Amino acid sequence: MKFIAFLMRNMPFLFGIGFIAPLIDQTIKQLGVNPAGSPWSLVLGLMIGGSWGVYAVWKTPAQ
Amino acid sequence: MTAPALDPATLKTLSSQELMRLEGEIARRFSGIVPWGSVTWGLCNLVVWLSLWPLVLFGHLTLWAAFPIATLNVMLSYLPSHEAQHDIIGRPGEPLRWLNELVGHVSTLPLVLPYRMLKLTHLEHHKHTNHSELDPDIHTRAPSAWAFLVSSLRNRQPGGQAQTSYAATLQRLGTPQASLAMLEALGLQLTYLAVLFACALTGHALEAALIWWLPRHIAATYIGFYLSWAPHHPALETGRYRDTRGFRSLVGNIGSMGMQFHVIHHLHPRIPLMKTPAAFYALRPVLEARNCPIEGL
Repeated sequence: MKFIAFLMRNMPFLFGIGFIAPLIDQTIKQLGVNPAGSPWSLVLGLMIGGSWGVYAVWKTPAQ
Repeated sequence: MTAPALDPATLKTLSSQELMRLEGEIARRFSGIVPWGSVTWGLCNLVVWLSLWPLVLFGHLTLWAAFPIATLNVMLSYLPSHEAQHDIIGRPGEPLRWLNELVGHVSTLPLVLPYRMLKLTHLEHHKHTNHSELDPDIHTRAPSAWAFLVSSLRNRQPGGQAQTSYAATLQRLGTPQASLAMLEALGLQLTYLAVLFACALTGHALEAALIWWLPRHIAATYIGFYLSWAPHHPALETGRYRDTRGFRSLVGNIGSMGMQFHVIHHLHPRIPLMKTPAAFYALRPVLEARNCPIEGL
């Protein structure tokens, strides 16, 4: 139960790096602005998703 | 009671009890009907939404065609379950009870909202409509449509009221059913996130975003607006005849999913959704005699 609580508490961060980051990466690749093999779109996704996630975890009051 | 009694002057002479009896007699004409339209709607809507996944992933349908269909599916997924929440399809002990529970449980899966939680919290909403602390949907209260849109986005952020109010209601209820509803909600939420993560890891983040994640956010805003904000606006009064209003929607009755007549649902929750317009016009003189807020209809 403690693990589930820990998971849910940090879910915004996990969501940021686990879904928002790949979503940004795949969207940029779909637009064709990322040179083949370049990781910068994933790095950008991780920066945006990760920082949003950290901010959301920090702002969310503990239940 | 017969039609001449619905003359406004005559209604004014009736006592509150007589008016209540008349209201009940009229309402009964629209109750006790199995809403086969809603049953078909709920089940077909889910099948269409589920079918979008293989159609898109195997390249039979473009993602850009699937996105508006998915959005419509998720927007339409709530109301069939709502009929089930009020046992309209089949009451306990009736032959169609299994269908009531099936529609209730499966139709809201695209919204990631479990039936048991929806039912318990929705009945609390009926019991405490517009109450600042006890109504689980009170977080949709906003002074204007624009203010609702802003607060809707804010409330769906981590820790926002849309995330916490149902859990708080279930905690307040404290029953075994409420505990089970909490577990179901947690399980469904974790499953939803696992699907999104799995799609992202396998290179299908865009598909997951446009078939589920974004449609769900659009649908949550739309449903919150038409099923909660609009019919209860300004949501400041409580009481059987004052907590819900009849209103004219810019997008018509179908575009607002029948919510122009939501006042009928709050007065007589066992009238099926598709019968509420007819019930409204039949009951209108009684509603006016009761000073119900009716705006533009």
